[in-house]
Amino acid sequence: MDQRDILDHQFVTAAYIVTWTIQLAYLAWLGWKWRSEKRNAERRSREAR
Amino acid sequence: MKKAALTLFPLITILLMIWGFYQAIYVAPDDALQGYVFRIIYYHVPSASVAFAFFAVSLLGSIGYLAFRRNHPTRAQVADAWALAGAEVGVIFCTVVLTTGPLWGRRAWGIWWTWDARLTTTLVLWLIYVSYLLLRRFAAGPQMQTLAAVLGIFGALDVPIVYMSNRWWRTQHPAPVFGGDADSGMKDPTMVHALLWNMLAWFCWGLLVLFLRYQVERRHQQYAALEAEEALTGAD
Repeated sequence: MDQRDILDHQFVTAAYIVTWTIQLAYLAWLGWKWRSEKRNAERRSREAR
Repeated sequence: MKKAALTLFPLITILLMIWGFYQAIYVAPDDALQGYVFRIIYYHVPSASVAFAFFAVSLLGSIGYLAFRRNHPTRAQVADAWALAGAEVGVIFCTVVLTTGPLWGRRAWGIWWTWDARLTTTLVLWLIYVSYLLLRRFAAGPQMQTLAAVLGIFGALDVPIVYMSNRWWRTQHPAPVFGGDADSGMKDPTMVHALLWNMLAWFCWGLLVLFLRYQVERRHQQYAALEAEEALTGAD
């Protein structure tokens, strides 16, 4: 493997890691938001009783 | 039935993502000119396609909100939730496009960025939808959804310009993979298959995230409506 191949490989790896980091971070944020909305709804139903 | 579909779809999506990755890294050959770094395309192009599709969802949602807001408030809220979900998930995919693109460009062109028509119009598209999300986050009052819908419609006008930019103008960005001249696009069928598998996988992933975002927004709308109702009855 020459220097060019190593660099190519590093750039492809970086692009794939960046893609998954963005997607999974967003999914985690959505999960957190989902939980907080669920908690709000539960609190509301407790207060209504 | 619904529960089975909700379990099965994420599972199929994960399998497609693994298959797409395998196709992109192990099956597709190196590009004759660009070599190994060409494989960035298998994540870059599908992300752009999904972003465009979801900005179209946002456009339809925005039009729906404006059409229904006076006579069908529930339908208007549903349309608004789709508009927001489409814009937000579209921005996420567009962010992927704007980060993987420069990574490819640095190896292929020797530069991270150039102000050519395709790159510039994509950046403008991203900025418009980021401003849409900021408007929704920080503006208050009954006009916020209407203003956001109008901005969403204007933002979507940039999508065909981005799509056509490397057909209308001479750009440093490569020629279109699909729908370009006879000389453009991929020649090797294994490359085309790898790209199509990744497109399918990212569309499924995108649909999953879009649906989840829509559900979160609907919950939020229902909670906000209850709070408003309670505030009114409390005021009485």
